[in-house]
Formats: sequence, structure tokens, C-alpha cells
Amino acid sequence: MKILVAEDDLICSRILQKNIENWGYKAVLARSGQAAWEALQDEELRLSILDWIMPGMDGVEVCRKIRRRKKYKYTYIILLSAKDRKQDIIAGLSSGADDYMTKPVNFLELRARLQTGKRVIDLEDKLLLIQNQLKDIASRDSLTKIWNRAEISKFLSEELERGQREKKPTGVILLDVDYFKKINDFYGHAIGDQALLQVVSRLKRKIRKSDKIGRYGGDEIIIILPNCGLTEIKRVGERLRLSVGKRSIRTELDSVPVTVSAGCATSELPGTASADKLIKIADSVLFKAKGLGRNCVVVAGQELEPLGERKNV
Amino acid sequence: MSNSTNLDKLRPIDFCDVLDRIGGDTSFLKELLIIYFQEYAEKKRLLQEAIAREDFTQVCELGHSLKGASANLSLSRLQRIALCLETAGRERQIQLAQEAARTLETEIQTLKAFLEGNPPGKFV
Repeated sequence: MKILVAEDDLICSRILQKNIENWGYKAVLARSGQAAWEALQDEELRLSILDWIMPGMDGVEVCRKIRRRKKYKYTYIILLSAKDRKQDIIAGLSSGADDYMTKPVNFLELRARLQTGKRVIDLEDKLLLIQNQLKDIASRDSLTKIWNRAEISKFLSEELERGQREKKPTGVILLDVDYFKKINDFYGHAIGDQALLQVVSRLKRKIRKSDKIGRYGGDEIIIILPNCGLTEIKRVGERLRLSVGKRSIRTELDSVPVTVSAGCATSELPGTASADKLIKIADSVLFKAKGLGRNCVVVAGQELEPLGERKNV
Repeated sequence: MSNSTNLDKLRPIDFCDVLDRIGGDTSFLKELLIIYFQEYAEKKRLLQEAIAREDFTQVCELGHSLKGASANLSLSRLQRIALCLETAGRERQIQLAQEAARTLETEIQTLKAFLEGNPPGKFV
């Protein structure tokens, strides 16, 4: 673990460095407040020993700046000073320091205090990890592990805003597994789930890293395609349809033939400024694809030229 | 209090105290003393200039810095003189600053002479 030692006095700095390194930490040295602040831009620096009196920006000011920043992980700060009056200690801690030590430093005490700091950092890391895991769980569909409806809608809104700023179209493809209810009824829900997982797996292999895939409803999958216009989306929709339907899906019971219907829309179309409206248009052309006999792709604005192997219903 | 501790208090440097702080490493103490004297040489020059132009802020800062460095090496007499210098700067007393600077130089020479006869490690 790296520790910042911000101390303008060379002797004190060397003694701190030697002790810290003997205890198995890596010391990063700074001899002014400004140098300390620059070093603290490294996100790996989570433990800091700051001298109060330093040329230019002092330790207390560095403390305040650290506490004002938002995006960084927590930095544990030990403020060092020769000032040992109660009001100095209170002022030091009030500036945002976690701990306060008077000089000359007792190194057994410093070692123990650094261990406390490390414990706090470790606890914060564990907390952040759990928070991220919970956030991820809350954002994903429990069966397929792709984004859930709320999360994918949020992505689409963000992507539409970005597309508007960068003057690039955003595409949406809604896919529906054909006769999914029949699969469930005939083979049972466990096999239906296996089939859906395979469909998702096949779709994921055919999209770009920048695309986002989510479960929109029971058997409805949605794909958000940044920088994708009407010409491109037609091709992508057809590629996705073929990737699912080209061969049957193997489940533990049987080989199940599965196809999908797709409705495609892009933000180039009029009245697609919001995520809801764009999805609504994609949904309406998906409905048309179903009406055309399923296993086909319909692009909004080009409904007269559906792609795929349509059958009469 | 043991006799050796009493003796340490009379010396310009408290070897027991400083070696306790740096884990008993006498060669490291030698290194630190070299840094101390090098830093002092530079600070002495700056101090003379600051006193000449009556720059009390600089006098105070140099006194503070020397006080800290001396405390870290358990040079208690030098620490006290540096505190006088810091106070003289803060209270804008030029005569006191001049006197403190002179005493500081005398004490540095005393320390050097002492270390020549008693290098770190001799008492450990």
C-alpha cells in the first residue's frame, strides 16, 4: 500500500520514509502542499501523512481540498504538527483530517495509527464492492443476467442525448421469441428458460461492445445500438434474426426450433426524441413483423420491405 | 532515571532518544546528521539575509523549520535556540533574532565537536 508523506523538513521526511518502508508500505514523498495535492491525483494513494506547516499550501488546506473532491475514493489523513494545543488539534481535525499527531513523532504510535487508517480504507473498499455488487444485481435480469427494463431504458435515454449532441443516430431493436408461450406450454418453463438463455447468448455474440442488450419483458429482448442509422439497423436486425433461427436450440430435453421477430427503429425518424417514443415505434413494427408471419424483421419507415422468412399466419 | 539517560540530557544530542525513534540504526543517524548540517548551512545563509533585511516572516519560518529538524534528532538545546529564533521572528525583535542566530551557530559548532569525539554508535 502506498502512503503519501507530505513534509517539507527533509530530516522528518527521511525518518518517516524509512520507518514506513520498514513496515512494508511504499512511501511517496512531497515537500510542499502543492506537490502533495498533485501526488494525491493518483487514486491509489489512500493513506496520507500531511505536515500542517508547509510552504505555499499548508496541510490543513490540502485536507480541505481532499474532502471537497467527489469522485475519488476515501483518503485517510493523518495530520502532523508541532502545535499541541487543544484548539490546534480541534482545528486540524475540523479541516477533515482523520487523525492528528504531534511532532516529534512517536513511531510505534504512528505505526498503530496507520494500521487504523488501513482498516478504515479496507472497510470502505469492502463496502464499495458490496454496493457495486448490489447495484449490479438490481440492474440486471435475474435469469439472463442482461440489463433489466429500467436500466436499459436509462441507457437508451442517455444514448439518445449523446446522439443528439454528436448528431449521430441511435437504433433500437425489439426482438420477440416466436411462439414462446407454446415452447413453455409444450416443454415446460425450465426448458423455456434454457431456450431464452440460448437466444440471449446467440444475440450477444452478434452485437458490438458498444451496444447494450436488455430484457424488456417476458420474451422480449431489446438492443440499443449507438451510432446506428436506418440502413445499418436493417442489416443488424437481419443478422440477429438469422443468428437465433439458423439452428435449433439444444436443451436438456430436446432440440427446440426457435426463431425471433424483430422491430427496428432509429432516432432519424420523426417523433423519436424520447426513449419511450422510440421504443413504442420499435414495438409497433415488431407487432407488424408478428402479423407478417413471424421470423422476420421490420424496420420503421420501411414497413413495405420486411426481411426474413415470413409465413402465413 | 538511569545514569546513562542523565548523561544523555547533558549532551548536545540525546542518542538514546533519537535512536529509539529511528529503530537503533546508527548509520541512518549518521546520514540524518549529514543532512542536518547541509540544511543548516543553507538556512544559515538565508537567516543572515533575512536578518539583514529584517524579514521577520522568513526569520520565523527558518526558526520553525530548524526547531522541527532539531526535535527530530533529539538536539534539545538547538531546538530551544531555534524556538527563540522563531519567537523573535514572530515578535519582530531584531536584536533577539541576531542573538539567537549567533547562539545557534555556537551550538552547531559544539555539536560538531562533540560528534567528532563521540560518533553515533559509541554509546549504544
